[in-house]
Amino acid sequence: MSTNKPLPTATEISAPFWNGLKAGRLTIPQCKSCGHWVFFPRRHCDKCWSQDLAWKEVKGTGTLYTYTLTRVPTLPDFADEMPQKMAVVELDEGVRINTTLIGVDESEIKVGMRVKPVFDTVSANGTALLRFTAADKDMAERIDSTPAALAAAAEAAASTAEVADKRQVRFDDEAAMKSLVSEAYSAWSNQIVVDQALIDEFAKLSGDDYWIHTDPERARKQSPFGGTIAHGALVQVLQSRLRIPLDYEVVGFNNMVNYGSDRLRFPAPVPAGSRIHARTRVKSVEKLPKGMQLTMEIVTHVVGSERPSVINDLVILYM
Amino acid sequence: MGLKGNAAIVGAAQYRPEKYATAPRMFHLEQVADLAGQALADAGLKASDIDGLVIHGPQFHEAQVFVPAMAAEYLGLSLNFAEVVDLGGCSSVAAVWRAAMAVEMGLCQAVLCVIPARMAPFGPDEDPSWMARAMRFGGHSTAFGAPEAEFDLPYGHMGQNTGYAMIAQRYAAKYGYDPVAMAKIAVDQRTNALANPDASFFGKPLSIEDVLASKMVAEPLRVLEIVMPVAGGAAVIVASKEVAARAKNRGACITGFGEHLYFKSPTYATEMTDTPIGPAAERAFAMAGIQRSDIHAAQIYDCYTITVLLTLEDAGFAPKGEGMRWVREHDLTYKGNFPMNTHGGQLSFGQSGTAGGMSQVIEAFHQISGRAGERQLKRCDTVFVSGTGGVMSEQGALILQGA
Repeated sequence: MSTNKPLPTATEISAPFWNGLKAGRLTIPQCKSCGHWVFFPRRHCDKCWSQDLAWKEVKGTGTLYTYTLTRVPTLPDFADEMPQKMAVVELDEGVRINTTLIGVDESEIKVGMRVKPVFDTVSANGTALLRFTAADKDMAERIDSTPAALAAAAEAAASTAEVADKRQVRFDDEAAMKSLVSEAYSAWSNQIVVDQALIDEFAKLSGDDYWIHTDPERARKQSPFGGTIAHGALVQVLQSRLRIPLDYEVVGFNNMVNYGSDRLRFPAPVPAGSRIHARTRVKSVEKLPKGMQLTMEIVTHVVGSERPSVINDLVILYM
Repeated sequence: MGLKGNAAIVGAAQYRPEKYATAPRMFHLEQVADLAGQALADAGLKASDIDGLVIHGPQFHEAQVFVPAMAAEYLGLSLNFAEVVDLGGCSSVAAVWRAAMAVEMGLCQAVLCVIPARMAPFGPDEDPSWMARAMRFGGHSTAFGAPEAEFDLPYGHMGQNTGYAMIAQRYAAKYGYDPVAMAKIAVDQRTNALANPDASFFGKPLSIEDVLASKMVAEPLRVLEIVMPVAGGAAVIVASKEVAARAKNRGACITGFGEHLYFKSPTYATEMTDTPIGPAAERAFAMAGIQRSDIHAAQIYDCYTITVLLTLEDAGFAPKGEGMRWVREHDLTYKGNFPMNTHGGQLSFGQSGTAGGMSQVIEAFHQISGRAGERQLKRCDTVFVSGTGGVMSEQGALILQGA
């Protein structure tokens, strides 16, 4: 699973720290000469400059030194975490760590609150990040936030939220059909992950194998997005896999024709590894000699992102 | 210890702040020559007077290394001293005292301090997306082995907004927080900008309500408490007494300076709300042998309102923890009892990259040399100037006094 969120690259110096997190353990170097705890990991003690350090496992409990809630993502790729609960935690050993809080409401966050660690697996190769939650929260110490796991969780939540009683609207009842026109969007659809494998399949199928879609290595170095992005056309057709909950159902017609699109725009990229979802609204309804023409605006977003990645004004003729 | 005050700023030039999209594209070497020429004309000196150079090195378009030699060659100057500064927003203040030191040591008679900050034209084979990639992480290093690449970026910690917001949030928890006082900093500076035709926000009044209604970016910081990036560039000439005597303007003598840094991420500061400007300002005042109350104006680096508040406190103008009350009780405009950022500050002038801090140095010089136009202070002989780079990570202070 690829993702455009920056991931840590362990060095020879820091490897024990990251390996520890993968195993759900927090280990930090301590100076054997003066007892000072060293974070981030170095070969020397930043207090007494001894090079005699030992990795020690610690509980990971501490206090919240400070935090901020972001209302604009620090990078578009973090849009699915909004608001980012950025934090600095001071461990009981005295070292401070840049991190994010999870499993707490905005209103619960207070400087000085007690916190405990959560080991969060973020990539398929097991890389885990060290997050924190409130000490009194009943939360699993190890969680899985790989995009696949998050999408599966969202899928499960969506399937239980199906609309029970759909309003039935006859296609030839012009007044009823026009009452569907709305500025407000529907609820969100299920979520799916647009991963590199899917992008590669689409590249093969469509013949569009431009490197910005298919070459993660080159894209990481040269793309302004810091990695590969999905084809706009791929994200467009994936609308078929996104089931949007609607509170109405058009009935009574013999035939339904997809006339294509009045407007198709790709305002924001979808980085490989992103989760997407969609919602819709009826933009206009027009009675034509042939039948009733309905224009549906379907917008697909990267989860959490304010800017849509696809805007599609789909024109449907009911006859 | 330190400077005797025998070196003075005698000439200055800066491009009017402009939007990147519409500002002229110029090679950085071309900007250096253009700004140097303008600063020399301002001083009434000639190119052959210059024998020292302090230049901002990082992100120089035409060279990664050997920037001073390339610049000397391009300018046609013969130098006895060349220095690159790499202290972010603190670079302007840092360049000026380094130049003064070279003059007082007798190495140089006139030193050009210059920071180009307009974009360069792109070559036919140049991939402009490197800029987007460089901007992507807001100045955070992505290099293998860089602690911030490993321990900050994966959590979304990057750029400046959230760092400053977290400092403000800790301040709020320790000392309390008054959004109105913070907004007043931006508003008083805007009043100053209304008297500065070169400011980005000239002719655009601002109210406390406007600031409080503006978009929240990272709590508690709102968008009107954050500088707007603009294209620009600036230069000053620091000269010896002998050369200064031939210059057109009253010189601004560098009588004190201080510089302090010990972290890149404020997470690792001893205490996040006690900023490095404290020891830097202490040294500057001691060197100049003056008191805080001797200051006629303060030009305080203002990437954010919280930067100003903490500088007012830690540089010793306001009692620690009482800065917000102090701001409410003082009129920070050029008409007020504590004239601060009389050009509008970068919040209202615009922040031209690393040259942004030079706007504060140049405003101090313009006030001392009596050329600040409508916003000219009646008496302005002694000015405090601060510089701040990174997230309060590198800070410097200057005391400038009229010759």
